[in-house]
Amino acid sequence: MKDVLRTLQEARPAELAPDVPADEGVRRAELTRAMAAEHGRAEDGRIGRGRRVRPVWGLGLAGAVAAGAVAAAAVITTGGDGTEPHRGGAPTVALDARTVLLTAADRADRQPETMRAYWHQVTVSSDTYMMGSDGDRYAIAVRSRSESWTPSRPGGKAWGAQQDLGARPATKADAQAWRRAGSPAAFKVEVPVAPGAPGRLKGFTAKTAPGPRELSGSPLVDGDKVFWLGRNVTMKDLRSLPSDPARLKAGLLRWYEGHGTESDAPMASDEWLYTVARGLVMDMPVKPEVRAAGFRMLAGLPAVKSLGKATDPEGRTGNAIAVDEKTPVGVIRHEMIIDLASGTALAGQNIMVAPAAGAQLPAGRTMNSTVTLSTEWTDAKPR
Amino acid sequence: MADEGPDEQRFTAMYDECRQRVWAYATARAGRQVADEVVSETFAVAWRRLADVPDPPLPWLLGVARNVLRDGHRAQVRRESFAAELGRWAPRPATDIAEDVAERLAVLRAMAALPEGDREILILIAWQGLTPRDAAKVVGCSPAALRVRLHRARRRLLRAAEAETPDGQAEGARGTRPQVGIVSEEMS
Repeated sequence: MKDVLRTLQEARPAELAPDVPADEGVRRAELTRAMAAEHGRAEDGRIGRGRRVRPVWGLGLAGAVAAGAVAAAAVITTGGDGTEPHRGGAPTVALDARTVLLTAADRADRQPETMRAYWHQVTVSSDTYMMGSDGDRYAIAVRSRSESWTPSRPGGKAWGAQQDLGARPATKADAQAWRRAGSPAAFKVEVPVAPGAPGRLKGFTAKTAPGPRELSGSPLVDGDKVFWLGRNVTMKDLRSLPSDPARLKAGLLRWYEGHGTESDAPMASDEWLYTVARGLVMDMPVKPEVRAAGFRMLAGLPAVKSLGKATDPEGRTGNAIAVDEKTPVGVIRHEMIIDLASGTALAGQNIMVAPAAGAQLPAGRTMNSTVTLSTEWTDAKPR
Repeated sequence: MADEGPDEQRFTAMYDECRQRVWAYATARAGRQVADEVVSETFAVAWRRLADVPDPPLPWLLGVARNVLRDGHRAQVRRESFAAELGRWAPRPATDIAEDVAERLAVLRAMAALPEGDREILILIAWQGLTPRDAAKVVGCSPAALRVRLHRARRRLLRAAEAETPDGQAEGARGTRPQVGIVSEEMS
């Protein structure tokens, strides 16, 4: 062998040639992922981290808060009906779900964090209900603002502040029907006692006028449980979750028993994981690297799909991902809207995509949504 | 990637020029399993530090990729993934083949037997086509030191390749030698 370097050159596998073009999908994903970060001016080589101070994880999942002060009364389902899905309209190609989630993970990973006395969240939730008579039905959105303070130490009290923001027609078309109905300022709403439960209804009256804000505190469940993550967990449990996606997944799945998070109806493990992990990344005071692991774990679930750019109910844009769940009332799409620049979940919403026979909800309606306005550690007392 | 500012345009152009080379480098070093991840992280770093990226960017990018590989993937894993990759590139031929083809296969297999440091230099020079000066930038040594390392790596490659070719092989060795992919020699 005369010139071994030349032979080595000739032996280079064809796929390693520099002029093989990258796959267009890969190209788009990699460019997006790279440029989601802030960049540029740092000469010292430090990563430009946390310049944007916007700690925001969504809320959204009924049952995320383990009982306690905030009675998370997000009624998932049957009586409701809702606003049109808000889709930002740019005709760009959607990023795949994996890219969206891995990008979010990269960003979440770099968020700075200092634990303080309380984990403080501000959210706005909306539930939609069908009103009117058969000939002229319309949907109203009943909105409420919630604040919660979860103590970082056991033995303390959890605090919550609730305020009804009032009911209003869900869309412009709904507003027209509402006016035809005489612009009522109060609505009698009836919902099933439990999701999908036939027969028994419970009713309440929703008003267009906002209600008073009410602050209340109560001891933690069992003295130390703060959230629900397939089971009730303590702050210590949350803070010691693994930052490795595979270990996180295995740890969560230990609590999966083959049924859903809100009922005993059967649920596939991927859907269950999605539901639980959505709560983890949106609501819970886990370490930044664990939140990143949550996103990475979600990126590995085949059931998760991308919906492209979307606008949350507060008008903020992000990228939406979703999992569809088949329920007795129809196929429900569980969406999460993610801000790629900060690696935070802006909002969660559940959309009726294919109503079952006899269901009250038409397809395409937002059943309910929860928008996270802010999350942060704070030493400020609940008030 | 519409609505781009000058930074976005510069970055995208840099990506289009260098992405495949960074990928090829990572694949040659540690196999395709990790290559995509290394590429992704490398360009994320490049974007964050765009102001620091020199022109031409390739040696700098390969240097970043090298650090990503070193920090994120244990030597053992890199070695095993490379060996697995090589199993695809250089299957053992079943029957007689042309001499030059046999030589190429022998050289490929010989790569697996080299210390990682040697292999790295050879990849930069022979497969990436870098000058010794640029290769030195990637690995962070002087051009003179790089030339010395290249000389040694080349000598060891030749020796290993000759051991791989049929006429340089000990009698009866074929069939008992471990296949590439389960190479058991210790490599640093």
